[in-house]
Amino acid sequence: MEESVFIEAKGLTKVYEDGLCALDHVSFSVKSGEVFCLLGGNGAGKTTTINLFLGFLPPTEGSATINGIDMHRDPLEAKKHVAYLSDVVMLYPNFTARQNLDFFARLGGKRNLAKEEYYSVLRQVGLQEKAFEQRLKGFSKGMRQKVGLAIAIIKDAPAIILDEPTSGLDPKAANEFLNTLLQLRSQRRAILMSTHDIFRAKEVADTVGIMNEGKMLTIKSRKELEHEDLEELYLNYIHGKVAA
Amino acid sequence: MLSTLLEKELREIIYSTKFAVTFGASAVLVILSFYVGIRNYQESKREYEAARSVNIANIASLTEWRMAQPKVFRKPQPLQVLVNGTTNDVGRTTEMRAQGELNLINSRYNVDPLFAVFRFLDLNFVVVIVFSLFAILFGYDAINGEKESGTLKLVLSNPVSRAEFILGKLIGSFTALVVPLLIPLLLGCLMIIGFGISLSPDEWVRLFFIILGGLLCFGAFLALSTMISGLASRTSVSFLISLVVWIFSVLIIPKGSVLLASAFVDVPNLDAIEAQKRKFSLQQFEQRRQKMEEWIRANARPGEDWSGRFNSFQDSVGKMFENEREEFYGRLNEEWRNRKDHQERWAFGVARLSPTVIFQIAAMNLANTDIALKHRYLEDLDRYQDEYAEFIKKKVGTLGGMRIVIRFSGQQAPEEEKKPLNPSELPELVERTRGLGDTMAASIVDLGLLGVLTTLFFAGAFGAFLRFDVR
Repeated sequence: MEESVFIEAKGLTKVYEDGLCALDHVSFSVKSGEVFCLLGGNGAGKTTTINLFLGFLPPTEGSATINGIDMHRDPLEAKKHVAYLSDVVMLYPNFTARQNLDFFARLGGKRNLAKEEYYSVLRQVGLQEKAFEQRLKGFSKGMRQKVGLAIAIIKDAPAIILDEPTSGLDPKAANEFLNTLLQLRSQRRAILMSTHDIFRAKEVADTVGIMNEGKMLTIKSRKELEHEDLEELYLNYIHGKVAA
Repeated sequence: MLSTLLEKELREIIYSTKFAVTFGASAVLVILSFYVGIRNYQESKREYEAARSVNIANIASLTEWRMAQPKVFRKPQPLQVLVNGTTNDVGRTTEMRAQGELNLINSRYNVDPLFAVFRFLDLNFVVVIVFSLFAILFGYDAINGEKESGTLKLVLSNPVSRAEFILGKLIGSFTALVVPLLIPLLLGCLMIIGFGISLSPDEWVRLFFIILGGLLCFGAFLALSTMISGLASRTSVSFLISLVVWIFSVLIIPKGSVLLASAFVDVPNLDAIEAQKRKFSLQQFEQRRQKMEEWIRANARPGEDWSGRFNSFQDSVGKMFENEREEFYGRLNEEWRNRKDHQERWAFGVARLSPTVIFQIAAMNLANTDIALKHRYLEDLDRYQDEYAEFIKKKVGTLGGMRIVIRFSGQQAPEEEKKPLNPSELPELVERTRGLGDTMAASIVDLGLLGVLTTLFFAGAFGAFLRFDVR
């Protein structure tokens, strides 16, 4: 069965006004049911790639498409098909978990959902029942991250973009988070995730793209990685021991 | 989509502890300002009635108008206690004289110097200090705060345009903050009715525009701080800038404008003018004495109706000197007034850089407590002095003032039974308060300016967000 491509970068380039090249002709695609991990250190271009996919920046060259729609040309239409979760998920601290979910669901076009539908998604991400109607101001980072993931899920978008979603989470919370991610993969969602956590990337990724200084150095499938040490591969690419 | 953003903004503000605290404080202060204003008005009215009664009793205890020293009192106005303006600086009592310059004494601050130091709590204070600060506290992190908490990217990752987002933010926050503020303001208005203070329809209209001006001033600060929030990347920076803007608006610009105007427009010192007046009076006194001596020498032999002729002479001389005095004083006063007007125009022109000053000027004009209050009241007194002089002339035969009374032995009139004076014969001072048209004309430019500033800041916030780096 041929999988449809939901997230695609073609020759994506970003050069800032001061001449800094943050992204240099990056191309990759994420199919439905695939988790694509962008791996790289700080300043590698992972977040710039994500910002281009969300329309927060215009590309200098190339295109970023979601479900075949160019984000730069038709951002409002493209954003209907993508859900996003960032590393900073403070959300609205005076709203309860359900109220946060309700607000973002409505922004994503889901209106008139029943309370139980919100609760079901919150259960899916593993948030405790008693926290559903509690204000977020008392939530830990892990709990907020769960609500953030619930927000991404409830939009029911075919593409999901996650920017360093496990940073700052304790191992248990990170593990729970990745389990939920795998569930989403099984629901045929295309997931693009940036991270610098090599071990977690290896755990969940179907494809890994190693980035450095704005360039995509290599793209490896799970199958290709089976016989390789990802950490060593990553370090070799970063230190230029392997030609990109 | 806009309705969802609006609703979120409303709920986010109303659910916050910041809102509960600031709204609570503002509501208490608004209600307190109305209460204090109402009580002050009632007290001022009681003092006014009591002073008038004492004055009437004093006059009624006399038998000759020649001996009467009536006083007139400035009537307290209900809106003056809601927007004090210059009312507490202007004297409330005037000792009436048929001729000579009238002085205003017993200003509220003169009687209660403590209030001169700390000032009264009035609606003007609440708007200028509390509302503006309240607006800044909610606006300074409106945009960059969402960036810092990650919600801005999350919202904009949905099919929401930047224009929708900023409109939702501006309209939502304005509504969420203004509507609750209307509640204590409305309660204040009900208190006015409840405490039995009757406002004329004109005064209600003026109060409505004072409140509208206050809300526009609030809106200007809210939009301004939101704009700053869209220009600065971090909330700590936008808070600092907003605070500096607030300090400039509320403290530096008003005081600085007065200093600037004083430096650029020279106004003669009042003491120097008083010295000129005193010198002129002394010269007149000497000239008058000489003229009387000359007349007495020329009319050394008392003839028929000597005293009558002498009195007529005194009246004509008195009239002549009074005209000269009025002309000289009038010229001095006019010159001083013209320079002062020029200086005030400068000061107000510069001070209008601040939205709070614009509101203050508009509110004072609407409450008739603007800087020209004293001038207008003195004009009323001048008119009244003419009526009073006519009355005294009719009753006493002369205008009083400096005169020599000569009685020849054997010419003394037989003692008559003297009746107490009837105070109701005294003409009444009519204070000509400006009509609605005049007050509106005086304040409409400033209200319009507040509206324009608010719109400009809204547009600025809109523009700043369109260019805002959401990353």
